[in-house]
Amino acid sequence: MKSENNSRREFLFTGLLAAGAVVGCSPKKDVFEAGAEPGVVASGKKVKLLSVDGQVIEVDEAFLKPVPELPPVTNAEARLGIAGKKFVMVIDLSRCKNLRKCQEACDREHHVNPGQHWVKVYPMQDADHTSPYWEPTTCMHCDEPPCVKVCPVDATFKRQDGIVLIDSDRCIGCRFCMAACPYSTRVFNWSAPDISAEIAKLPYSCETSVPQKKGTVGKCDFCADMTRKGELPHCVSACPNGTFFFGDMNEDTVSNGSETFRFSDLIRDKAGYRLMEDLGTKPSVYYLPPVSRNFPFEPSVDSDLKSKI
Amino acid sequence: MENLQSLESEKIIQDLLPQKFGRKGKIFIGVLLAFCLVGLFAYYRQLRYGLVVTSMRDYVSWGIYISNFVFFVAISLVGSLITAVFRLANVEWSKPLTRIAEIIAVAAIIFASLIIIVDMGSPERFYNLFLYGRIQSPIMWDVIVITTYFFISLLLLYYPLLPDIKILLRFKEKSGKGLHKLYKFLGSYWKESPKQIKLSDKAINILCITIIPVAFSIHTVTSWLFATTYRPGWDSTNFGAYFISGAFLVGAGSVVVAMYIFRKAYNLENYITPKHFEKMGRIVVLLALLYLYFNINEYLVPAFKMKKSEEAHLLGLFTGDYAPLFWFAILTGMIIPIIILLFKKGRKPVPVFVAGIMVVVGAWFKRYLIVTPTMLHPFMPMYNVPESYHHYFPSWEEWAIALGSLAGTMLVITILGRIFPIIPIQETLNEQHETAA
Amino acid sequence: MKLLHKKLLGLLSIVLLIPGYKAFSQDAQKGTLSIAIGYYNENNQIPYVKAKVKTKVDGRFKTVAGIPLKLYLNKDSAGNLIAQVVTNDKGEAAAIIPASLKSQWGAGPSHSFVATFDGNKKYDAATGDVTVGKAKIEIDTTSDRKIIATVYEMKDTAWKPVKGVDVIVAIKRMDADLNVNETATFSTDSTGKASADFKRDSLAGDANGNITLVAKVEDNDQFGNLSIQKTVPWGAKFVPVNTFDRRTLFATRDKAPIWLILMATSIIVVVWGILIGLVVNLFKIKKLGQEA
Repeated sequence: MKSENNSRREFLFTGLLAAGAVVGCSPKKDVFEAGAEPGVVASGKKVKLLSVDGQVIEVDEAFLKPVPELPPVTNAEARLGIAGKKFVMVIDLSRCKNLRKCQEACDREHHVNPGQHWVKVYPMQDADHTSPYWEPTTCMHCDEPPCVKVCPVDATFKRQDGIVLIDSDRCIGCRFCMAACPYSTRVFNWSAPDISAEIAKLPYSCETSVPQKKGTVGKCDFCADMTRKGELPHCVSACPNGTFFFGDMNEDTVSNGSETFRFSDLIRDKAGYRLMEDLGTKPSVYYLPPVSRNFPFEPSVDSDLKSKI
Repeated sequence: MENLQSLESEKIIQDLLPQKFGRKGKIFIGVLLAFCLVGLFAYYRQLRYGLVVTSMRDYVSWGIYISNFVFFVAISLVGSLITAVFRLANVEWSKPLTRIAEIIAVAAIIFASLIIIVDMGSPERFYNLFLYGRIQSPIMWDVIVITTYFFISLLLLYYPLLPDIKILLRFKEKSGKGLHKLYKFLGSYWKESPKQIKLSDKAINILCITIIPVAFSIHTVTSWLFATTYRPGWDSTNFGAYFISGAFLVGAGSVVVAMYIFRKAYNLENYITPKHFEKMGRIVVLLALLYLYFNINEYLVPAFKMKKSEEAHLLGLFTGDYAPLFWFAILTGMIIPIIILLFKKGRKPVPVFVAGIMVVVGAWFKRYLIVTPTMLHPFMPMYNVPESYHHYFPSWEEWAIALGSLAGTMLVITILGRIFPIIPIQETLNEQHETAA
Repeated sequence: MKLLHKKLLGLLSIVLLIPGYKAFSQDAQKGTLSIAIGYYNENNQIPYVKAKVKTKVDGRFKTVAGIPLKLYLNKDSAGNLIAQVVTNDKGEAAAIIPASLKSQWGAGPSHSFVATFDGNKKYDAATGDVTVGKAKIEIDTTSDRKIIATVYEMKDTAWKPVKGVDVIVAIKRMDADLNVNETATFSTDSTGKASADFKRDSLAGDANGNITLVAKVEDNDQFGNLSIQKTVPWGAKFVPVNTFDRRTLFATRDKAPIWLILMATSIIVVVWGILIGLVVNLFKIKKLGQEA
């Protein structure tokens, strides 16, 4: 009985550690993976594990850290961003069918007020005889952001990895950034946000943009918390057609979760472009024109959706 | 002014001393206070529930608070025009009007600052502007210049007040205890010695010179709040000059309105004479023509090109949803006053007063037309948003606060006009001595 | 610590039982879970199993968090327990095969993994299982930028190459793996080798031009998930240029353009200098008045 108890305890113990154990063992060079952090000091306590060959190996417990819910990023770190990265998004207009799964996922994960959206999908037709198409837009995270230029209190800022974020603890609600943005991407919390009490109590993080606060501005944040962990933003993973591609321009790779492309090849081969290029905002979101599209354009049944607010 | 020669100094002083409110005055103050209180209650609601009590939404994110702000900043420029420019140009007939102009300027700039705080979504973080202010932001520039202009206007109100306070201190019983104490605190040290006069004159001269570039910059910077964005209707290089010419016009209009009312209320017919109305009428028509010129530039040139992004906006103003308001503002704000004031008969006190009111009313709607229509024509289509986002008509809270701020401005003007002589007494006396001599 | 564990386990089991009781008495509609369990062998180090729990909501699958699972090797008896885990907010739970199961693990070339869920108030009990053969994958590179991945399976305590396994050969990137050329997958030949040409020239690596190659087998019916990595200096040298510290109009307040700072400061200093001078002037006048 006693030995069984001991072994059960050991199983439980290893089970608890298991989630992060793999991470701890594999020699990933990715700085996002905690456990591969340099400077992890061996604790001296060994744990017995099985290798593929069936050999018992001993691994120092210190390398089997539980999954790092990474320590909350400080405001200063959130304002700096991740060095050496330049995040970029590619949206393939030939794949968008106005399913709005991207919008649903983003609204849900960021607790956006009902009726407002950070990811917007527009029916577009550039001129009378040109083809109509659905165009999803996020914040463009411009390299010369007009919104950042006009903010009087540094509440919205551009990071070194290209992401433009909002610090809702500092925003004074003057809405100059909303007037300045030509892409109509920003929304304002006109009233107290419609969120649960637990979420409202959380300390605000610029990277998660949660919880939103009354009297401040909100917008797409390229899911900075997800990208810090090396994961894709929610809109990218949510689209069933794989319309959104996301990646690091420095690595020249973008992915929609199942397909991965070399960014420069993709833009060159499919004639990628950016919105309102002539304004000089230098957006970080590229669009692939709707050629050889997968679906015909169907006007939405509930077009110009109206809801009561 | 010919009348002045026949009056003795003492009579002049008696005429120009501040007078107690009569019944009409008290009712007026009561009405203004009522508007202010309703406005305060509406603001309490806004603080409690957030800006959702207004009709502003994600597209029209700037509404009548901002157009009111621009309106107030525009009116406050009158101080630099009447007081500074005319004084430097030695325009004699404008001397009685300088105090009215300065009082209007001070009152307007106070409420410009207040209404901009009202517009903030999180006013409790106002101090962030000073802790974390970014010098790259046009709002920061606006905060700096408005503070500077407020301070200059105060000084320009205060310096010329000193000789008058000395006169006021003589009439202790008429002033009453409270006011007399105030006068003592403000200027009992003014003995009118030659040295003091020399220092004061020099100071006023420096102020008059300094206030002109500051006044130009305050309204130019305010115009840049719009011109530094890409939006149709705002993306114009014309905006600085356009706003300043409009500001001079509405400032002159407000002086005309104020001088007519004070003249009637305080029986100042001998000091604000038909000649003043005639001269101010000319000034107003000149400024109105100038503003009309800038308006033509502002609207005709983009209409010639009809760029895609601007087409909907311009057509909306000329023939669309905003056409009635647009033409109303042009007619009442510029054209009709010009027609009235071009003729000598039109430059009598009553027509000038009417023209002045039309100018001010037209100017308020003009400011509204600058702010809101542009916001309803964003680059990206308005789609998949609640119905309320497609229109803008101010809610009762917004009207209450806007009218409350206008009432507050008039209240400050009325109270300052009650406390201080609305026409500079000492200057009038000096005037009379000079012409007599 | 040991006693606490025991107590916690006891408490946990009681806590789990009570809602179970209630569920019996209630006639509530309980959802059904589908549990998928997979075997992962990364870099031939420590193999682990990962269970994914989903439930069907409105015809679509949604992941379920907070589901306690028991993972077993070969059969669901106490002696074969790998671990007790709880799914995280992505509906996944992973566990390493502990050393104590060495005898069962060494018993044969093929194993099955079982995940059981005892049911709770919301969901019926469910199980999932998968059978895999022991396998490993190796990666090698040649001087002419060819990548060779070899897949072995364990047959009677010896590693034998396997034919016909689909291998993905890619370059590890931040959030995904970029194929080394247009072909998505390569099939191993009779010697168990799959070879791919590296076609991604001048792909940015780190400061020394290093990139990490990865060869992987994904969701193979026989072998589960295998992957192996190798770092090679085939990338372009990349040193990120940081433009963050430039003075621009859109930088933070401490990095405003110099011309702007100079202009603003000089205007403010001049104008406020004059104003302060005028206030001083007032005091001078006051003094003159008090002397007289």
